[in-house]
Amino acid sequence: MSLLEIRGLTKAFNGVTVLDGVDLDVDAGSVTVLVGPSGSGKSTLLRCINHLETPDAGTISVDDSLIAYRRDGDVLRELPERTIAAQRRRIGMVFQQFQLFGHMTALGNVIEAPVGVLGVPRHEAVERGRALLARVGLEGREDAYPRQLSGGQQQRVAIARALAMEPTLMLFDEPTSALDPALVGEVLEVLRDLAAGGTTMVVVTHEIAFAREVADTVVVLGDGRIVRSGPPSEVLDDGSVRVA
Amino acid sequence: MTSLVAPEAPPSSPPRTVGARHVGRWVWAAVVLVLVVWALRSVALNPAFGWGTVTQYLFTTAVLRGLATTLLLTVATTVVGFLLGIGLAAMRLSGNPVLSSVSWGYVWLFRSTPLLVQLLFWYNVGALYPRLGLGIPFGPTFFSVDSVNLVSVLVAALLGLILHEAAYAAEIVRGGILSVDAGQSEAAVSLGMTRARVLRRIVLPQAMRSIIPATGNMVIGTLKGTSIVSVIAVTDLLYSVQTIYNRTYEIIPLLLVATVWYVILTSVLSVGQYYVERYYARGAERTLPPTPLQRLRRSFR
Repeated sequence: MSLLEIRGLTKAFNGVTVLDGVDLDVDAGSVTVLVGPSGSGKSTLLRCINHLETPDAGTISVDDSLIAYRRDGDVLRELPERTIAAQRRRIGMVFQQFQLFGHMTALGNVIEAPVGVLGVPRHEAVERGRALLARVGLEGREDAYPRQLSGGQQQRVAIARALAMEPTLMLFDEPTSALDPALVGEVLEVLRDLAAGGTTMVVVTHEIAFAREVADTVVVLGDGRIVRSGPPSEVLDDGSVRVA
Repeated sequence: MTSLVAPEAPPSSPPRTVGARHVGRWVWAAVVLVLVVWALRSVALNPAFGWGTVTQYLFTTAVLRGLATTLLLTVATTVVGFLLGIGLAAMRLSGNPVLSSVSWGYVWLFRSTPLLVQLLFWYNVGALYPRLGLGIPFGPTFFSVDSVNLVSVLVAALLGLILHEAAYAAEIVRGGILSVDAGQSEAAVSLGMTRARVLRRIVLPQAMRSIIPATGNMVIGTLKGTSIVSVIAVTDLLYSVQTIYNRTYEIIPLLLVATVWYVILTSVLSVGQYYVERYYARGAERTLPPTPLQRLRRSFR
């Protein structure tokens, strides 16, 4: 049974087709790494999953429920904002540019949505938030503002912030691309730890070595289509496939 | 004897640096200080300023009442004007083309006409709409009253100032919202927040950093701008002193009374702005800028 199921996903920007009938299945507890050259549609595919982009056609289901739409005959009607917001709580997302809330401390970032959206009592959220920050190696930095942290630390806070909602699915959009080479390792270490813990993850990345080591499935996109998909050993060693 | 050795500086202390002397700085400082003292002295000693009369009227009931009206107008205009401005900015940035156009049209209209003209319009609103009522548009009216009874001069002044302020506040707020990275909203909605919550908790607090300096300008401008309501006979600070000097002919001293109060209020507002800015700078800078008190203490250490 797959946790994430994408069928015929199609999306064009100003007449340029970015996704062209993509089918993808992600099993619960698995790690799927999306690779492919720039402009191949990896990020758009990821952003469609939590409806940051509006697809033109096709369906996305998480846990058997259609994301952002309800089926009405042969059309999909967009759901109201509140329903989509509720669906997004179960899908965590980590961005290339971290996007930590600059006016809140690390801990503030982590507890904001649990307290404000889920209604978790503050002291409980704080306790859990501290534990999550410790898990990503940031014990003692709870009161630091994002600008007082390095890029790698910020990205780890961003991961803790997404995890605080206890998502069933985690999306990573090039999580190490904005980092100094020296800081990439500490973020990949957290991703490795999550994968080992059984978190279902879809990761867009250019880190081929990471894909080889951690991915259960590597999916190669090219010109909006899935070119190749399979275990890393098969896909990445196939010289005929352009992975980056 | 082997003592004929050239004296040597100990190698552990490299030569000390000394800054250049700015002779010109001292000269200019002296010239400007002399001019300032000369100007202050002439203001203090010229009997035409009538400082005795100034102190005599500074705390009279009529002046303090006028001051209270000016404060009321300033606070009400700023608070209500900015609430309307936030609404207008949200309308303008919404995906709804009707709301967006209406907001644009409002700002266009109220920025296109002088505040004085708008005030005179509200003052004469009875000529346009002799009776004002509450009802359903195109439907029945539940009750109505004569405009002249509802729109007193104070209400006319408030309407004029608030509606004018809202147009400018809308642009300040909109500019602030646009200064926040769109990725912040994406990150927030990804966590399951609704757009209203994103605006309130994530975008507006960060927009405040660019909104506050412009707002400080606006509030100070509004404080002094309220003096314009004296033309429709609202007894604000300026109108109060005018009433007195029309009787006593002590024009300059009474204008100074108003001036002193305006300067005091503006100074308080400027200090307030510094601390509000400092509050919203948290997270935006690695360390908060020191307060003037902290700076003073540091220079005496």
